[in-house]
Amino acid sequence: MSHPSETRQTSPSDPAQAGAPRTRRPVPWLPVLTTVALVVAAVALAFVRSGSGAVVTQAVLAGVLIGGIYGLLAMGLTLIFGVLDIVNFAHGAFLTVALFLTFWLVQSLGLHPYLALGVTVPAMFLIGFGVQRGVLSGAMGKPLQNQLLITLGIALVIENALLMFVGANPRSVALPGDQGVQVLGAVAELSNLFAFVGSLLLAGGLFLLLQRTRLGTAIRAVAANDVGAQMVGIDVRRIYALTFALGTACAGAAGTLVAPLVTIEPTTGSLFNILAFVIVVLGSMGNVVGALVGGLIIGLTEQLGTLLLPSQSPQLSVFIVFVLVLFLRPQGLFGRSA
Amino acid sequence: MRRTSIAVLGCALSLTVAACGGSAPAGTTDSGGDSGPIKIGSLHPISGDLAADGQQMDNGAKLAVEAINQAGGIKALEGRKLQLLSGDTQGEPDIGQSEAERLIQEGAVGLVGTYQSDVSANVSAVAERNEVPFVIDVSSDDAILQQGYKYTFRVQPSSSVMGTEGAKYLQEVSSAAGEPAKKIAILHEYGPFGTAVSKSFTAEAERQGMQIGPVISYDPLSVTDLTTQMTKVKAAGADVLVVTGYYSDSVLAADAVKAVKPQLDAVFGVADGAYDLPQFPEQMGSASEGYYDSNYHSDMTNPETQKLAALYQKRFGEEIRTGAVLAYDSVRVIASSLEAAGDTDPAAVRDAIAQGNFETLIAGNGPISFTDTGENENAVPILMQVQDGKIVQAHPDEFAQAKPLYPAPPAQ
Repeated sequence: MSHPSETRQTSPSDPAQAGAPRTRRPVPWLPVLTTVALVVAAVALAFVRSGSGAVVTQAVLAGVLIGGIYGLLAMGLTLIFGVLDIVNFAHGAFLTVALFLTFWLVQSLGLHPYLALGVTVPAMFLIGFGVQRGVLSGAMGKPLQNQLLITLGIALVIENALLMFVGANPRSVALPGDQGVQVLGAVAELSNLFAFVGSLLLAGGLFLLLQRTRLGTAIRAVAANDVGAQMVGIDVRRIYALTFALGTACAGAAGTLVAPLVTIEPTTGSLFNILAFVIVVLGSMGNVVGALVGGLIIGLTEQLGTLLLPSQSPQLSVFIVFVLVLFLRPQGLFGRSA
Repeated sequence: MRRTSIAVLGCALSLTVAACGGSAPAGTTDSGGDSGPIKIGSLHPISGDLAADGQQMDNGAKLAVEAINQAGGIKALEGRKLQLLSGDTQGEPDIGQSEAERLIQEGAVGLVGTYQSDVSANVSAVAERNEVPFVIDVSSDDAILQQGYKYTFRVQPSSSVMGTEGAKYLQEVSSAAGEPAKKIAILHEYGPFGTAVSKSFTAEAERQGMQIGPVISYDPLSVTDLTTQMTKVKAAGADVLVVTGYYSDSVLAADAVKAVKPQLDAVFGVADGAYDLPQFPEQMGSASEGYYDSNYHSDMTNPETQKLAALYQKRFGEEIRTGAVLAYDSVRVIASSLEAAGDTDPAAVRDAIAQGNFETLIAGNGPISFTDTGENENAVPILMQVQDGKIVQAHPDEFAQAKPLYPAPPAQ
């Protein structure tokens, strides 16, 4: 039953999406195969450049692991875009809030970092709900740049409030018993593996929620056609708020999962913000599965990029891939051509 | 629709940058003046990615002004008090530049700053144009003082001094332990700072007979994982890893060492922004034991520095960093020069700075004294090591609080 194309949420005003979603559409084999072929080619090229199997294996593993986390973050973002048609610039800042919340819970209550998920996810869900109801609901249906500036403003407020009230000193969360483990000839820290597995589980959960529950069906209905959804009795305003809350909760989960991996500062989230946008566009805006796959692709691109283009920013390879995708498939890897 | 979204997205991305920009209102106050407090400008990244260091340095400058005022102000000028004008560079060269212009218009007779080489480069041009002295507390790029500027001075050692001295210290410490370092891998941030330090380190290390390679660079602002790079280091069989970076990326390097476990005798920071900070052993725990850092550093064997550190702890509730001590020293350089010149004319202050010898709380070869190009000729780094979860000064002997432990295989 589960099928990537079923989860496409699209903006109602997009003429290309008039027929979506349908119950079954053929898997877009051509882009999938091309992507796989390109990844294999990049791995082979990296092997030729670096001349060491161990280094390439390590790059692939590190890329996949970090890519899973990028994917989780981007899923929240793409969900919000698909349903509310809002480009949410505060997504990275929400991740930062979750990081600090996790830090605080671990520091003051001595909680295991992953148990903090039980607090951060609901807390971020509520914050997301509140922000949508309080700040964004008035801007719904207004020009895109209105909402864009509002979310940008929220991000700046969060960042600077954290700077003012908690200070800029770097903080960290330690995972008890964290150590390097061997995985298929490469090494990864346990915290990295757990974050990856956690991301996949949460992504799976989100997917099931969208596919198998009444709420998910309602969300997809609003995404496909909000006027139609309203006509059949769906409370569209409530769905908007719940969807934004769900997306923010994704950022919250990602925040707790990466807490042991990063140095926690008020600006940490902005590191992930731009990447998350690239992934959302790469995986076709509004496509949840596309976001996960896009995350993996970007993670791999970053790591293989450091081998193919040494001494360059990983963002260089990311944006080369991004520009190529926009040029060849402006609708993203998993979108239909207009 | 979708294309528009992407276009808007593009606009917004550039907007994020612009929004961080803001603009500085042009102040129009009298300059210098014969009465009232004498103004000194402090330019640091008080917000943004580098705010932790920027705020420390601004605090250091504040404490210097307070200390001088409590001691009776500038005696040569009838005890006139100092006033600190704080500017926020936000870590951006263009904002640093406009803030420098603002502070000069508001009457600053001298500037201190700015923590980042690219910002300092812009500010030094402004200082030169307005003929106002600029004392660099932290910014190591050699190029800033190679422009023939007359109004810019640097208290901390330059990149090339730090690279060269770092290589000497590594050679001295490892040879004294009977296990001279032979194969060195270098991991450095790819900006002018990391590149310049690693270049001068390489030159000196090769002169000492060490073999360098691989040299790996990375982007400090977008790196999220360094295990691939560390696997390269391991595959090359290096016995010492040299790291030059900022805080969070250097922590990622330490994380990668912990996971990949290369067979190293030591991890050796050269001008590294993490391995000599108390937060580092706090964050990494026992995995940070033995990490070296050859860096400019406040001299904690000096009772005056200890007094300043205690005052800082009391006032701001955290441990003082070397950057704050350098800002403290830089303000004192300007104050002493005001005293020597007996004049608030920036050009007279400049001449007094160029000729003077100034007390310092930083470990070095002697008092602060500037060469014709504006470099502090007595500035040298010293070697710190993490021992029992604390940062201790380990080398050279006259600054040592404890003996250097070598070899110090990391993450054992």
